[in-house]
Amino acid sequence: MMRFFLISCFLLIFSCGSYPKKEGFQLDNTSQTTLVNPYFSNSEIDYVYKSKIEIYDNQFGGLLIIKKISDHNHRVAFTTEMGNKLFDFSFTENDFKVNYIVDDFDKGLLIKILKQDFKTLITESLITESQYQNDKVDVYETVLYNKKHFYFYDSHELVKINRVKGTKEKVSFIFSNINDSIADKIVIEHYNIKLKITLKSIN
Amino acid sequence: MRKLVFITILMISANLFAQSPMSDQEATTLKTLVKTRAATTKTISSDFTQYKHLDFLDNDVITKGQLAFKSPNLIKWSYIDPFKYSVIFKNETLYINDEGNKSNVDIGSNKMFKQLNKLIINSVKGDMFDDEAFSIEYFKNDYSNLVHFTSKDKNLSKYISAFHITFNTEGDVEQVKMIEPSGDYTKIIFSNRVLNNPIDDAIFSN
Repeated sequence: MMRFFLISCFLLIFSCGSYPKKEGFQLDNTSQTTLVNPYFSNSEIDYVYKSKIEIYDNQFGGLLIIKKISDHNHRVAFTTEMGNKLFDFSFTENDFKVNYIVDDFDKGLLIKILKQDFKTLITESLITESQYQNDKVDVYETVLYNKKHFYFYDSHELVKINRVKGTKEKVSFIFSNINDSIADKIVIEHYNIKLKITLKSIN
Repeated sequence: MRKLVFITILMISANLFAQSPMSDQEATTLKTLVKTRAATTKTISSDFTQYKHLDFLDNDVITKGQLAFKSPNLIKWSYIDPFKYSVIFKNETLYINDEGNKSNVDIGSNKMFKQLNKLIINSVKGDMFDDEAFSIEYFKNDYSNLVHFTSKDKNLSKYISAFHITFNTEGDVEQVKMIEPSGDYTKIIFSNRVLNNPIDDAIFSN
């Protein structure tokens, strides 16, 4: 029995590994730091993005509108191009509220997915758990809503966030065309479901 | 002193645009004018500016484009700025062209969408005088007439609680404001409106 237990432990250790190890990141043992995501942090800006949502074989577009109301308080709304509101969410530090959602979207799983994705998008600062180096990119490991997230900074600019489970990437947030702390293009891609959200700034 | 001047100017300008309720006779006259106008309107082409007002934003989201309407039920909204997007309402299908990506949405099975589609067409012409669907209030000032159409339909009121339509003295629609239950609204202001110029059917294909 004991031998079986040891073998199981041995197998477990070797089969699991970790995401940083799998990706070849080098651990950097400096002290804890605070991560910053600047892209929705200016309360004077109305962030408006032309959006495309591809979900399984359906595709629809609209405008994603994000506003920082105060510290740890954001509104995230989505309307069609013609102005019909599809949903309107409020995020505070530890709370989430659906202000409005059309019947077609009012599904628990969909709301949960959108809530997590937008929470990642708007969270401004997080304490790191570990720090790695990978080529020229600084990688920071942190936890957001009990899920492991890796933040990638290229020349101190946030270019990617990966939500990870075990050794696998579940969701990627890719930021590009960055000007004055605004990411003109953002792609949110899910790997365990067929869901891709493409955002282009029209500010 | 400066403050007093400012307040006086403010009051004068507020008065200038103040809306007062119409008499029954004035309301009937406007209704007849708009209905006659709508019945004789074969085509409309117009520029428009759309203001999406969300209470939590500092500024409305502004988009601009062109509208083409052909009687009885062809309508195309083309957004030009700040992105290119067009939607054609034809039969029971929406034909969308999103920056070159074309798609169709069948709205035949969606009762709500069909109702909204009909209302959009009616609101472009201004002819929404349906007492069963709306409670209707009439207002006026020196320059225009304003009609509030407040929805009586429970399903519709979940999306849009009221349409406020502004007409010029000829009975043409100048502005449509669609108000959501939350108070947020979409306001569309028409300009360079041309009536009854021939419009080729080809415009209404994607």
